[in-house]
Amino acid sequence: MILSVKAVSLKDVIVDAIEYLWEIFGLLYNSFKNLPYLRISPVLTVFLRQIYFAGIETFGKMVIIGLLAGIVIIAQITNLTGVGSAVLTGKILIWVMVRELGPLLAAVIIITRSVTAISAELGAMNVEGEIESIEMMGIDPYRYLIMPRVFAVSLSSVVLTFYFEFAAIFGGITVTSIFWSVPFEEYTKGIFSSLSFKEVTASFIKSLLFGMTIAAVSCSQGLKVSKSITQIPQATTRATIQSLFLVIIFDGIITFMFFVC
Amino acid sequence: MLKLECASLKGLLECASFSIVKGEICEVLTETDFDRNLLLKVFTGLAALDSGKIYIFDKDILSITSAELNETRKRIGVVLNNGGLISNLKVWENLMLPLAYHMSFHKQDIEEKIRVILSKIGYDDDLNVLPGPLPDYKKRLIGFARAMLMDPDMIIYDSVFEGLSSDSRSRVLETVNAFHLEKKGRVSLFLDPGESPIRGIKADNTYRLKEGKFYEGN
Repeated sequence: MILSVKAVSLKDVIVDAIEYLWEIFGLLYNSFKNLPYLRISPVLTVFLRQIYFAGIETFGKMVIIGLLAGIVIIAQITNLTGVGSAVLTGKILIWVMVRELGPLLAAVIIITRSVTAISAELGAMNVEGEIESIEMMGIDPYRYLIMPRVFAVSLSSVVLTFYFEFAAIFGGITVTSIFWSVPFEEYTKGIFSSLSFKEVTASFIKSLLFGMTIAAVSCSQGLKVSKSITQIPQATTRATIQSLFLVIIFDGIITFMFFVC
Repeated sequence: MLKLECASLKGLLECASFSIVKGEICEVLTETDFDRNLLLKVFTGLAALDSGKIYIFDKDILSITSAELNETRKRIGVVLNNGGLISNLKVWENLMLPLAYHMSFHKQDIEEKIRVILSKIGYDDDLNVLPGPLPDYKKRLIGFARAMLMDPDMIIYDSVFEGLSSDSRSRVLETVNAFHLEKKGRVSLFLDPGESPIRGIKADNTYRLKEGKFYEGN
Protein backbone atom coordinates (compact mmCIF):
# COMPACT_ATOMS: atom_id res chain seq x y z
CA MET A 1 0.00 0.00 0.00
CA ILE A 2 1.38 3.37 -0.92
CA LEU A 3 0.67 6.17 1.44
CA SER A 4 0.82 9.60 -0.11
CA VAL A 5 1.37 12.46 2.25
CA LYS A 6 0.50 15.90 1.03
CA ALA A 7 3.02 18.35 2.29
CA VAL A 8 1.45 21.55 3.49
CA SER A 9 3.86 24.40 3.81
CA LEU A 10 3.51 27.26 6.28
CA LYS A 11 3.11 29.58 3.30
CA ASP A 12 0.04 27.62 2.11
CA VAL A 13 -1.49 27.77 5.57
CA ILE A 14 -0.96 31.54 5.78
CA VAL A 15 -2.31 32.12 2.26
CA ASP A 16 -5.38 29.98 3.06
CA ALA A 17 -5.95 31.87 6.30
CA ILE A 18 -5.71 35.24 4.55
CA GLU A 19 -8.08 34.07 1.80
CA TYR A 20 -10.55 32.85 4.39
CA LEU A 21 -10.40 36.09 6.39
CA TRP A 22 -10.89 38.02 3.15
CA GLU A 23 -13.97 35.89 2.41
CA ILE A 24 -15.38 36.60 5.90
CA PHE A 25 -14.63 40.30 5.45
CA GLY A 26 -16.36 40.23 2.04
CA LEU A 27 -19.43 38.62 3.57
CA LEU A 28 -19.57 41.29 6.30
CA TYR A 29 -19.03 44.08 3.76
CA ASN A 30 -21.87 42.67 1.67
CA SER A 31 -24.09 42.58 4.76
CA PHE A 32 -23.39 46.25 5.53
CA LYS A 33 -24.10 47.12 1.91
CA ASN A 34 -27.44 45.33 2.12
CA LEU A 35 -28.43 46.82 5.49
CA PRO A 36 -30.99 49.28 3.97
CA TYR A 37 -33.00 46.28 2.74
CA LEU A 38 -33.83 45.37 6.33
CA ARG A 39 -36.98 47.45 5.83
CA ILE A 40 -38.37 44.83 3.41
CA SER A 41 -40.94 42.81 5.34
CA PRO A 42 -39.67 39.23 4.66
CA VAL A 43 -36.06 40.31 5.42
CA LEU A 44 -37.18 41.97 8.65
CA THR A 45 -39.02 38.75 9.57
CA VAL A 46 -35.81 36.72 9.16
CA PHE A 47 -33.97 39.30 11.31
CA LEU A 48 -36.58 39.21 14.09
CA ARG A 49 -36.69 35.41 14.07
CA GLN A 50 -32.93 35.28 14.42
CA ILE A 51 -33.07 37.81 17.27
CA TYR A 52 -35.64 35.58 18.95
CA PHE A 53 -33.55 32.45 18.48
CA ALA A 54 -30.06 33.82 19.11
CA GLY A 55 -31.03 36.50 21.62
CA ILE A 56 -34.28 36.00 23.48
CA GLU A 57 -34.18 32.19 23.71
CA THR A 58 -30.57 32.33 24.92
CA PHE A 59 -31.20 35.10 27.45
CA GLY A 60 -32.21 32.88 30.41
CA LYS A 61 -29.30 30.50 29.99
CA MET A 62 -26.90 33.39 29.55
CA VAL A 63 -28.02 35.04 32.81
CA ILE A 64 -27.82 31.78 34.78
CA ILE A 65 -24.35 30.93 33.43
CA GLY A 66 -23.26 34.54 34.09
CA LEU A 67 -24.53 34.36 37.63
CA LEU A 68 -22.76 31.06 38.29
CA ALA A 69 -19.54 32.28 36.69
CA GLY A 70 -19.71 35.44 38.82
CA ILE A 71 -20.20 33.45 42.03
CA VAL A 72 -17.31 31.10 41.25
CA ILE A 73 -14.93 33.92 40.31
CA ILE A 74 -15.82 36.15 43.24
CA ALA A 75 -15.53 33.21 45.63
CA GLN A 76 -12.03 32.47 44.33
CA ILE A 77 -11.01 36.13 44.51
CA THR A 78 -12.35 36.41 48.06
CA ASN A 79 -10.39 33.29 49.03
CA LEU A 80 -7.27 34.82 47.52
CA THR A 81 -7.56 38.37 48.86
CA GLY A 82 -9.40 37.70 52.11
CA VAL A 83 -12.81 38.84 53.30
CA GLY A 84 -11.66 42.35 54.22
CA SER A 85 -10.63 43.28 50.67
CA ALA A 86 -14.03 43.89 49.15
CA VAL A 87 -12.89 46.95 47.16
CA LEU A 88 -10.01 45.01 45.63
CA THR A 89 -12.36 42.07 44.95
CA GLY A 90 -14.75 44.39 43.12
CA LYS A 91 -11.89 45.80 41.04
CA ILE A 92 -10.58 42.37 40.08
CA LEU A 93 -14.09 41.25 39.22
CA ILE A 94 -14.49 44.16 36.80
CA TRP A 95 -11.11 43.49 35.24
CA VAL A 96 -11.82 39.80 34.78
CA MET A 97 -15.49 40.01 33.80
CA VAL A 98 -15.82 43.18 31.74
CA ARG A 99 -12.42 43.16 30.11
CA GLU A 100 -12.04 39.48 29.36
CA LEU A 101 -14.32 36.71 30.49
CA GLY A 102 -17.68 38.42 29.94
CA PRO A 103 -17.41 38.91 26.17
CA LEU A 104 -15.47 35.66 25.74
CA LEU A 105 -17.83 33.40 27.71
CA ALA A 106 -20.89 35.05 26.16
CA ALA A 107 -19.35 34.41 22.72
CA VAL A 108 -18.71 30.75 23.64
CA ILE A 109 -22.37 30.34 24.64
CA ILE A 110 -23.52 32.00 21.39
CA ILE A 111 -21.16 29.74 19.43
CA THR A 112 -22.56 26.57 21.03
CA ARG A 113 -26.10 27.67 20.35
CA SER A 114 -26.15 29.65 17.11
CA VAL A 115 -23.19 28.49 15.01
CA THR A 116 -24.43 24.94 14.58
CA ALA A 117 -28.00 26.12 14.03
CA ILE A 118 -27.15 28.69 11.35
CA SER A 119 -24.60 26.61 9.45
CA ALA A 120 -26.81 23.49 9.52
CA GLU A 121 -29.89 25.44 8.43
CA LEU A 122 -28.15 27.13 5.52
CA GLY A 123 -26.39 23.87 4.60
CA ALA A 124 -29.69 21.99 4.53
CA MET A 125 -31.29 24.76 2.46
CA ASN A 126 -28.45 24.45 -0.02
CA VAL A 127 -28.74 20.66 -0.23
CA GLU A 128 -32.51 20.86 -0.75
CA GLY A 129 -32.08 23.46 -3.52
CA GLU A 130 -33.97 26.08 -1.50
CA ILE A 131 -31.30 28.74 -1.98
CA GLU A 132 -31.48 28.23 -5.74
CA SER A 133 -35.24 28.47 -5.51
CA ILE A 134 -34.85 31.81 -3.67
CA GLU A 135 -32.51 33.03 -6.42
CA MET A 136 -34.98 31.95 -9.10
CA MET A 137 -37.54 34.25 -7.48
CA GLY A 138 -35.15 37.16 -8.03
CA ILE A 139 -34.27 37.36 -4.35
CA ASP A 140 -30.64 37.92 -3.47
CA PRO A 141 -29.78 35.23 -0.87
CA TYR A 142 -27.15 37.50 0.70
CA ARG A 143 -29.83 40.11 1.23
CA TYR A 144 -32.55 37.74 2.40
CA LEU A 145 -30.63 35.03 4.29
CA ILE A 146 -27.20 36.35 5.28
CA MET A 147 -27.54 40.04 6.15
CA PRO A 148 -30.39 39.63 8.68
CA ARG A 149 -28.55 36.76 10.38
CA VAL A 150 -25.30 38.71 10.62
CA PHE A 151 -26.96 41.73 12.23
CA ALA A 152 -29.28 39.73 14.46
CA VAL A 153 -26.43 37.65 15.89
CA SER A 154 -24.23 40.76 16.30
CA LEU A 155 -26.95 42.68 18.11
CA SER A 156 -27.80 39.65 20.26
CA SER A 157 -24.13 39.25 21.12
CA VAL A 158 -23.85 42.85 22.37
CA VAL A 159 -27.05 42.67 24.44
CA LEU A 160 -26.35 39.18 25.81
CA THR A 161 -22.80 40.13 26.80
CA PHE A 162 -24.17 43.11 28.74
CA TYR A 163 -26.65 40.90 30.62
CA PHE A 164 -24.02 38.22 31.16
CA GLU A 165 -21.64 40.73 32.74
CA PHE A 166 -24.42 42.35 34.76
CA ALA A 167 -25.56 38.96 36.11
CA ALA A 168 -22.01 37.88 36.83
CA ILE A 169 -21.03 41.06 38.68
CA PHE A 170 -24.14 41.94 40.64
CA GLY A 171 -25.37 38.36 41.06
CA GLY A 172 -21.94 37.24 42.22
CA ILE A 173 -21.62 40.14 44.64
CA THR A 174 -25.10 39.64 46.05
CA VAL A 175 -24.58 35.95 46.71
CA THR A 176 -21.14 36.39 48.27
CA SER A 177 -22.32 39.37 50.31
CA ILE A 178 -24.86 37.04 51.85
CA PHE A 179 -22.47 34.11 52.44
CA TRP A 180 -19.38 36.10 53.53
CA SER A 181 -21.35 38.86 55.23
CA VAL A 182 -19.46 41.57 53.36
CA PRO A 183 -21.47 44.79 52.90
CA PHE A 184 -22.74 45.15 49.34
CA GLU A 185 -21.58 48.80 49.24
CA GLU A 186 -17.96 47.75 49.81
CA TYR A 187 -18.01 45.71 46.63
CA THR A 188 -19.78 48.40 44.60
CA LYS A 189 -17.15 50.95 45.64
CA GLY A 190 -14.46 48.82 44.05
CA ILE A 191 -16.59 48.22 41.00
CA PHE A 192 -17.41 51.84 40.30
CA SER A 193 -13.85 52.99 40.97
CA SER A 194 -12.43 50.66 38.33
CA LEU A 195 -15.26 50.66 35.77
CA SER A 196 -14.14 53.23 33.23
CA PHE A 197 -15.24 54.15 29.70
CA LYS A 198 -12.27 52.18 28.41
CA GLU A 199 -13.51 48.92 29.98
CA VAL A 200 -17.03 49.39 28.68
CA THR A 201 -15.83 50.32 25.18
CA ALA A 202 -13.50 47.33 24.99
CA SER A 203 -16.31 45.02 26.11
CA PHE A 204 -18.72 46.54 23.59
CA ILE A 205 -16.26 46.29 20.68
CA LYS A 206 -15.38 42.74 21.61
CA SER A 207 -18.99 41.59 21.81
CA LEU A 208 -19.88 43.30 18.52
CA LEU A 209 -16.87 41.91 16.68
CA PHE A 210 -17.40 38.43 18.16
CA GLY A 211 -21.05 38.47 17.09
CA MET A 212 -20.17 39.53 13.56
CA THR A 213 -17.40 36.93 13.32
CA ILE A 214 -19.61 34.13 14.63
CA ALA A 215 -22.43 34.99 12.21
CA ALA A 216 -20.14 35.44 9.20
CA VAL A 217 -18.27 32.16 9.80
CA SER A 218 -21.54 30.23 10.32
CA CYS A 219 -23.10 31.64 7.16
CA SER A 220 -19.96 31.13 5.13
CA GLN A 221 -19.67 27.46 6.16
CA GLY A 222 -23.39 26.86 5.66
CA LEU A 223 -23.24 28.24 2.14
CA LYS A 224 -20.25 26.03 1.31
CA VAL A 225 -22.35 22.86 1.68
CA SER A 226 -23.15 21.83 -1.85
CA LYS A 227 -25.14 18.74 -2.67
CA SER A 228 -24.48 16.14 -0.02
CA ILE A 229 -26.17 15.88 3.34
CA THR A 230 -22.97 14.42 4.84
CA GLN A 231 -21.34 17.82 4.37
CA ILE A 232 -23.69 19.42 6.90
CA PRO A 233 -22.08 18.00 10.08
CA GLN A 234 -18.65 18.75 8.60
CA ALA A 235 -19.70 22.35 7.99
CA THR A 236 -21.09 22.77 11.50
CA THR A 237 -17.93 21.37 13.07
CA ARG A 238 -15.73 23.62 10.95
CA ALA A 239 -17.89 26.63 11.73
CA THR A 240 -17.71 25.96 15.48
CA ILE A 241 -13.95 25.51 15.58
CA GLN A 242 -13.24 28.45 13.29
CA SER A 243 -15.58 30.77 15.20
CA LEU A 244 -13.93 29.84 18.49
CA PHE A 245 -10.47 30.26 17.02
CA LEU A 246 -11.21 33.66 15.49
CA VAL A 247 -12.98 34.90 18.63
CA ILE A 248 -9.93 34.07 20.75
CA ILE A 249 -7.59 35.73 18.25
CA PHE A 250 -9.72 38.89 18.08
CA ASP A 251 -10.01 38.89 21.87
CA GLY A 252 -6.24 38.90 22.14
CA ILE A 253 -5.88 41.68 19.56
CA ILE A 254 -8.45 43.96 21.21
CA THR A 255 -7.04 43.33 24.69
CA PHE A 256 -3.60 44.18 23.38
CA MET A 257 -4.84 47.36 21.69
CA PHE A 258 -6.80 48.61 24.70
CA PHE A 259 -4.85 47.48 27.72
CA VAL A 260 -1.27 46.77 26.63
CA CYS A 261 -0.42 49.44 24.04
CA MET B 1 -38.30 36.30 -25.36
CA LEU B 2 -35.87 33.46 -24.65
CA LYS B 3 -33.05 32.80 -27.05
CA LEU B 4 -29.90 30.68 -27.00
CA GLU B 5 -27.21 31.43 -29.58
CA CYS B 6 -24.58 28.75 -30.15
CA ALA B 7 -24.66 28.02 -26.43
CA SER B 8 -22.15 25.55 -25.06
CA LEU B 9 -21.99 24.11 -21.58
CA LYS B 10 -19.88 21.09 -20.79
CA GLY B 11 -22.02 17.98 -20.51
CA LEU B 12 -25.23 19.67 -21.68
CA LEU B 13 -25.00 21.97 -24.70
CA GLU B 14 -22.74 22.05 -27.73
CA CYS B 15 -23.26 25.18 -29.77
CA ALA B 16 -27.01 24.78 -29.32
CA SER B 17 -29.47 27.37 -30.58
CA PHE B 18 -33.05 27.73 -29.54
CA SER B 19 -35.66 30.44 -29.28
CA ILE B 20 -39.16 31.02 -27.95
CA VAL B 21 -41.21 34.00 -29.04
CA LYS B 22 -43.86 35.97 -27.14
CA GLY B 23 -47.07 34.14 -26.38
CA GLU B 24 -45.68 30.72 -27.23
CA ILE B 25 -46.18 27.46 -25.38
CA CYS B 26 -43.11 25.31 -25.72
CA GLU B 27 -42.02 21.94 -24.42
CA VAL B 28 -38.40 20.80 -24.11
CA LEU B 29 -37.74 17.10 -23.58
CA THR B 30 -34.44 16.09 -22.05
CA GLU B 31 -32.82 12.70 -21.84
CA THR B 32 -32.17 12.78 -18.10
CA ASP B 33 -33.28 14.60 -14.96
CA PHE B 34 -29.75 15.96 -14.64
CA ASP B 35 -30.02 17.61 -18.09
CA ARG B 36 -33.40 19.05 -17.17
CA ASN B 37 -32.11 20.53 -13.92
CA LEU B 38 -29.07 22.02 -15.58
CA LEU B 39 -31.15 23.45 -18.43
CA LEU B 40 -33.44 25.11 -15.92
CA LYS B 41 -30.39 26.70 -14.28
CA VAL B 42 -29.23 27.97 -17.68
CA PHE B 43 -32.66 29.46 -18.41
CA THR B 44 -32.76 31.23 -15.05
CA GLY B 45 -29.18 32.51 -15.13
CA LEU B 46 -28.00 30.23 -12.33
CA ALA B 47 -25.55 28.34 -14.55
CA ALA B 48 -23.20 30.30 -16.78
CA LEU B 49 -22.49 29.07 -20.30
CA ASP B 50 -18.96 28.13 -21.34
CA SER B 51 -19.55 30.01 -24.59
CA GLY B 52 -22.40 31.47 -26.60
CA LYS B 53 -25.20 33.82 -25.60
CA ILE B 54 -28.49 33.57 -23.79
CA TYR B 55 -31.09 36.32 -24.08
CA ILE B 56 -34.07 36.59 -21.79
CA PHE B 57 -36.50 39.42 -22.54
CA ASP B 58 -33.88 40.62 -25.05
CA LYS B 59 -31.19 40.96 -22.39
CA ASP B 60 -27.94 39.05 -22.52
CA ILE B 61 -28.17 37.67 -19.02
CA LEU B 62 -24.50 36.75 -18.85
CA SER B 63 -23.42 40.35 -19.22
CA ILE B 64 -25.88 42.10 -16.91
CA THR B 65 -25.36 42.97 -13.24
CA SER B 66 -26.78 40.77 -10.50
CA ALA B 67 -29.37 43.46 -9.70
CA GLU B 68 -30.52 43.46 -13.33
CA LEU B 69 -30.54 39.67 -13.33
CA ASN B 70 -32.80 39.67 -10.26
CA GLU B 71 -35.09 42.17 -12.00
CA THR B 72 -35.25 39.80 -14.96
CA ARG B 73 -35.95 36.82 -12.70
CA LYS B 74 -38.88 38.71 -11.19
CA ARG B 75 -40.58 38.41 -14.56
CA ILE B 76 -40.00 34.65 -14.70
CA GLY B 77 -42.13 32.26 -12.68
CA VAL B 78 -40.65 28.83 -12.00
CA VAL B 79 -42.76 25.91 -10.83
CA LEU B 80 -40.33 23.32 -9.57
CA ASN B 81 -40.91 19.60 -9.47
CA ASN B 82 -40.52 19.59 -5.67
CA GLY B 83 -42.37 22.88 -5.25
CA GLY B 84 -39.18 24.79 -4.41
CA LEU B 85 -40.68 25.81 -1.08
CA ILE B 86 -38.63 27.13 1.81
CA SER B 87 -38.82 24.52 4.55
CA ASN B 88 -38.65 26.89 7.52
CA LEU B 89 -41.46 29.09 6.23
CA LYS B 90 -45.11 28.14 6.58
CA VAL B 91 -47.13 27.60 3.41
CA TRP B 92 -48.68 31.05 3.84
CA GLU B 93 -45.27 32.71 4.20
CA ASN B 94 -43.96 30.77 1.20
CA LEU B 95 -46.80 32.11 -0.91
CA MET B 96 -46.25 35.67 0.28
CA LEU B 97 -42.47 35.68 -0.03
CA PRO B 98 -41.82 36.95 -3.60
CA LEU B 99 -44.77 39.33 -3.56
CA ALA B 100 -43.88 40.83 -0.17
CA TYR B 101 -40.20 41.01 -1.14
CA HIS B 102 -40.57 42.65 -4.54
CA MET B 103 -43.75 44.68 -4.28
CA SER B 104 -45.13 47.04 -1.71
CA PHE B 105 -48.62 45.67 -1.24
CA HIS B 106 -50.58 45.87 1.97
CA LYS B 107 -50.82 42.60 3.84
CA GLN B 108 -54.59 42.50 3.28
CA ASP B 109 -54.14 42.96 -0.48
CA ILE B 110 -51.63 40.14 -0.61
CA GLU B 111 -53.94 37.90 1.43
CA GLU B 112 -56.80 38.66 -0.93
CA LYS B 113 -54.64 37.91 -3.98
CA ILE B 114 -53.53 34.61 -2.40
CA ARG B 115 -57.14 33.61 -1.66
CA VAL B 116 -58.16 34.26 -5.28
CA ILE B 117 -55.25 32.26 -6.72
CA LEU B 118 -55.72 29.37 -4.30
CA SER B 119 -59.38 29.07 -5.16
CA LYS B 120 -58.41 29.04 -8.85
CA ILE B 121 -56.04 26.12 -8.43
CA GLY B 122 -58.33 24.35 -5.96
CA TYR B 123 -56.04 24.35 -2.91
CA ASP B 124 -58.06 24.40 0.27
CA ASP B 125 -55.69 22.89 2.87
CA ASP B 126 -54.34 24.56 6.01
CA LEU B 127 -51.90 27.35 5.12
CA ASN B 128 -50.44 27.66 8.61
CA VAL B 129 -48.31 24.53 8.37
CA LEU B 130 -44.72 23.94 7.36
CA PRO B 131 -44.49 22.44 3.86
CA GLY B 132 -42.20 19.53 4.81
CA PRO B 133 -44.84 16.82 5.40
CA LEU B 134 -47.03 17.79 2.42
CA PRO B 135 -47.14 15.46 -0.60
CA ASP B 136 -45.21 16.58 -3.70
CA TYR B 137 -48.41 17.31 -5.59
CA LYS B 138 -49.50 19.86 -3.00
CA LYS B 139 -46.03 21.37 -2.83
CA ARG B 140 -46.13 21.84 -6.59
CA LEU B 141 -49.56 23.45 -6.35
CA ILE B 142 -48.25 25.93 -3.77
CA GLY B 143 -45.19 26.57 -5.95
CA PHE B 144 -47.54 27.16 -8.88
CA ALA B 145 -49.70 29.56 -6.85
CA ARG B 146 -46.56 31.42 -5.73
CA ALA B 147 -45.43 31.82 -9.35
CA MET B 148 -48.93 32.88 -10.47
CA LEU B 149 -49.05 35.60 -7.80
CA MET B 150 -46.17 37.41 -9.47
CA ASP B 151 -48.08 37.48 -12.78
CA PRO B 152 -44.93 36.49 -14.72
CA ASP B 153 -44.25 37.17 -18.40
CA MET B 154 -42.66 33.75 -18.70
CA ILE B 155 -43.41 30.67 -16.65
CA ILE B 156 -41.25 27.56 -16.58
CA TYR B 157 -42.77 24.27 -15.47
CA ASP B 158 -40.09 21.88 -14.26
CA SER B 159 -41.49 18.39 -14.78
CA VAL B 160 -44.68 19.28 -12.93
CA PHE B 161 -46.71 16.36 -14.25
CA GLU B 162 -44.37 13.67 -12.95
CA GLY B 163 -46.10 11.17 -10.67
CA LEU B 164 -49.55 12.73 -10.95
CA SER B 165 -52.73 10.67 -11.27
CA SER B 166 -54.70 11.28 -14.49
CA ASP B 167 -57.29 13.29 -12.55
CA SER B 168 -54.74 15.59 -10.94
CA ARG B 169 -52.90 15.90 -14.25
CA SER B 170 -56.03 17.05 -16.09
CA ARG B 171 -56.80 19.56 -13.34
CA VAL B 172 -53.26 20.98 -13.42
CA LEU B 173 -53.29 21.09 -17.24
CA GLU B 174 -56.56 22.98 -17.22
CA THR B 175 -55.15 25.57 -14.79
CA VAL B 176 -51.87 25.84 -16.70
CA ASN B 177 -53.63 26.43 -20.02
CA ALA B 178 -56.00 28.98 -18.49
CA PHE B 179 -53.10 30.79 -16.82
CA HIS B 180 -51.23 31.00 -20.13
CA LEU B 181 -54.14 32.81 -21.73
CA GLU B 182 -54.59 35.25 -18.83
CA LYS B 183 -51.79 37.54 -19.97
CA LYS B 184 -51.13 38.52 -23.56
CA GLY B 185 -47.70 37.46 -24.75
CA ARG B 186 -46.99 35.17 -21.81
CA VAL B 187 -44.56 32.34 -22.54
CA SER B 188 -45.10 28.91 -21.00
CA LEU B 189 -42.11 26.61 -21.12
CA PHE B 190 -42.39 22.97 -20.04
CA LEU B 191 -39.24 21.07 -19.19
CA ASP B 192 -39.84 17.33 -19.05
CA PRO B 193 -37.60 14.30 -19.09
CA GLY B 194 -38.33 11.43 -21.46
CA GLU B 195 -39.05 10.61 -25.05
CA SER B 196 -42.63 11.60 -25.65
CA PRO B 197 -44.37 14.92 -25.04
CA ILE B 198 -46.88 15.24 -22.21
CA ARG B 199 -50.38 14.63 -23.49
CA GLY B 200 -52.65 17.62 -23.07
CA ILE B 201 -50.02 20.35 -23.36
CA LYS B 202 -51.03 22.54 -26.28
CA ALA B 203 -47.43 23.23 -27.24
CA ASP B 204 -46.69 25.43 -30.26
CA ASN B 205 -43.25 23.84 -30.43
CA THR B 206 -41.65 20.77 -28.93
CA TYR B 207 -37.87 20.39 -28.79
CA ARG B 208 -35.70 17.47 -27.82
CA LEU B 209 -32.33 18.07 -26.27
CA LYS B 210 -30.05 15.35 -27.61
CA GLU B 211 -26.28 15.22 -27.68
CA GLY B 212 -26.03 18.89 -26.84
CA LYS B 213 -28.43 20.20 -29.50
CA PHE B 214 -32.11 21.05 -29.71
CA TYR B 215 -34.16 19.15 -32.30
CA GLU B 216 -37.55 20.50 -33.19
CA GLY B 217 -40.65 18.34 -33.69
CA ASN B 218 -42.46 15.48 -31.99
